[in-house]
Amino acid sequence: MSAVETLLLVSAILGLLTGLSVVVLSLTWLERKFLGRIQMRIGPMRVGPFGLLQPVADAVKLMAKEDLLSSWVDRVVYWVAPLVVFVPTFMIWVTIPITRDLVIRNLDMGLFYIIALSVLSIVGLVTAGWASSNKYAVLGGFRAAAQLISYEIPLILAVLGVAMLAQSLNLENVVNSQGAFSYALIQPLGLVIFFVAGLAELGRTPFDIHPAESEVVGGPFVEYSGAHWAVFFLAEYINTFAIAALTVLLFFGGWLFPGLPGDVSGLGVLVFLIKTYLVILVIFWVRGTYPRLRIDQLMSLGWKVLVPLAFVNVVITSVYLFYGWPAWSLSLMSLAILGTAVWEISRRMRTAPTPEYTVRLYVPSSEASSAG
Amino acid sequence: MLGNLKGLMVTLSTFFRKPVTYQYPKEHKPIEDRYMGFPVLMWDANVGEPYCTGCMVCVRYCPTSCISAVMKDNPLHADGQSTRRKIVDNFEINLGRCILCGICVDVCNFDAIEMSHEHELSKYARNGNRTDLSKLLEMGKAYQEETGWRPEKETKKEEAVEAEN
Repeated sequence: MSAVETLLLVSAILGLLTGLSVVVLSLTWLERKFLGRIQMRIGPMRVGPFGLLQPVADAVKLMAKEDLLSSWVDRVVYWVAPLVVFVPTFMIWVTIPITRDLVIRNLDMGLFYIIALSVLSIVGLVTAGWASSNKYAVLGGFRAAAQLISYEIPLILAVLGVAMLAQSLNLENVVNSQGAFSYALIQPLGLVIFFVAGLAELGRTPFDIHPAESEVVGGPFVEYSGAHWAVFFLAEYINTFAIAALTVLLFFGGWLFPGLPGDVSGLGVLVFLIKTYLVILVIFWVRGTYPRLRIDQLMSLGWKVLVPLAFVNVVITSVYLFYGWPAWSLSLMSLAILGTAVWEISRRMRTAPTPEYTVRLYVPSSEASSAG
Repeated sequence: MLGNLKGLMVTLSTFFRKPVTYQYPKEHKPIEDRYMGFPVLMWDANVGEPYCTGCMVCVRYCPTSCISAVMKDNPLHADGQSTRRKIVDNFEINLGRCILCGICVDVCNFDAIEMSHEHELSKYARNGNRTDLSKLLEMGKAYQEETGWRPEKETKKEEAVEAEN
């Protein structure tokens, strides 16, 4: 690699880091405003016009905050854990194309690379929990491992469905093959699976079991403060943006829009960003609507609903590809299975017997014997 | 499952509703007429002096002992302008200690003290809520102007006249 190429690569990566930081700032502002409006509040208003500078103020506050260290932590692991979470989430972006030309490395195994790296951040969460020497943190770390590993399977299978349709793992080819119809139309089942599993991968609100404030007071992040906590925070929001971007790239045609030329870079970026932010608004909307799932509900949703549905999705896609049927047949099959699943789940939820609870009082054996 | 979609529609509809926020220090929520805020002293505009004579009855009845008062001979009475022989010389309420019980208002024989609409306690000094006579009268005048307050003795007299007619 020549010096010029190296310089270009370094500047591209620095640009990506800056861009992502700006995106994270905008996301925190947007989330607070959006949640505020859902709760009939107006969100931050004091710092800057419409509170636009609030995220900057938050960032300054986090950087200036004392980084506390409890005396029993395993220091090396404790300080490395935020990086183990952050680095893979950042590295994913190396191959996510904003538009046709705006990508650092367009990998032919792009989807495989993204999936392989996104699993890595679990290690960071578990080690963060373990190194904190705090029972809430350990519990949160283990919850993260259990949750993220279970939801990785439907996520990968949903991505597999798209890769089968596009006959490629290269994200640019995936987008270009959606020129006529986006895969959201051809494979609505895959979209639902990908979105739900993606939310669970992010640990965002209906699935925020591992940082659950009311149960494990912030999970793996309990002991972190100041800049190290900010790194986790940054990773979480970059991940949110990545899942939204992947949803757009895999299912909503990325930078393509019917009627617009796909090869104009600036227009492509605009289309991509608008689509991504719309998906993010849906994520915030879901956050503002649903309460947190219980851990058993989370596990049964993952293993009993999403994993079978994801396999069915792969099977119908392969049948469709094998016989070379027209595209509408796959959308019909996909919709029918989605409808059946929704119908069956709501039927079971309606008719499920209310569990009977028996209350057993704990009576120490000595008292029990004396009471007769 | 369909309930989930209904839930999404609920949050969507609240999203488009008008926010209920008041931007507090800039923007105040309107206070109800009968709101009971801090006790303040009333100003007799006909004579140009407070109604309070400094008789100390509120001081004695105050459950938290947050009031103090000093009485003096009324110079306006010597001139023949006022019917009050004694007038308040010095008066102080520690609003930080006041529990807004309204006993001072009930026991006052001169309609001199009223529960106003004042309710803000944040001050820069530790004893910033010890409010003296001039400040209490200022707050009282603002309250009188805001609500068109008149002493109970006058309003009762009018009511009695109306009842006779």
